[in-house]
Amino acid sequence: MNKAVGFFAVALFAVFVGISIFLIPGYGSYPNPNVPNYYLNNALVDTGSANVVNSIVWDYRGYDTMGEETVLIVATIGVVLLVGRRVS
Amino acid sequence: MNVIVRTIARTMFPFILVYGIYLAIYGHLSPGGGFPAGVVIATAFILLVIAYKERKIEHTFTEIEFLDLKTVAGFALIIIIILGFILRLRLVNLQVPFELWSGGVTLISNVLGSIIVATAFVVIIYSIIKEKT
Repeated sequence: MNKAVGFFAVALFAVFVGISIFLIPGYGSYPNPNVPNYYLNNALVDTGSANVVNSIVWDYRGYDTMGEETVLIVATIGVVLLVGRRVS
Repeated sequence: MNVIVRTIARTMFPFILVYGIYLAIYGHLSPGGGFPAGVVIATAFILLVIAYKERKIEHTFTEIEFLDLKTVAGFALIIIIILGFILRLRLVNLQVPFELWSGGVTLISNVLGSIIVATAFVVIIYSIIKEKT
């Protein structure tokens, strides 16, 4: 019984994954190009940074990057609490 | 480790460190940025730690000092990013594009973020290496 339910669930998941793979838009044909075009046209004027990737990562989406740094800080604190030495 | 690995690690340490600092400072002009720069800086220290594993290197640096540095850099980065919508306009109006001192908030954020990433990797791998001994 359990095995049949599990097989059915996996088969359903596989069907949906297979459908969604064919629904992904192709490379370079993004359906709503307003946001990438805004970044490419106005990044230098807005942020003054010549590297568009860097201006997106650290300026437009700065809160996202702040969250990533918070994840790093929390991971470091966890590792030090688990295996760290006691320094007097 | 034997003498070959120690000599290579001691020789390559300043070059790797300078390359990481270059990636952090020039991140807004060329490919690079805070995260790769932090990983490269951490690689230099981890190379030293692995090469001189038997010896005591606590007189050179300890991970607690790295944690203090990381806390200061983290708070500074949070303040910079939260105040970014004010600082960005002020800084961009004063700067010339394609110069070294340009990029508004991104230059400061790159340096602070590279410090955070470097200290994170150094502290994590140093703790795991020194845990068995």
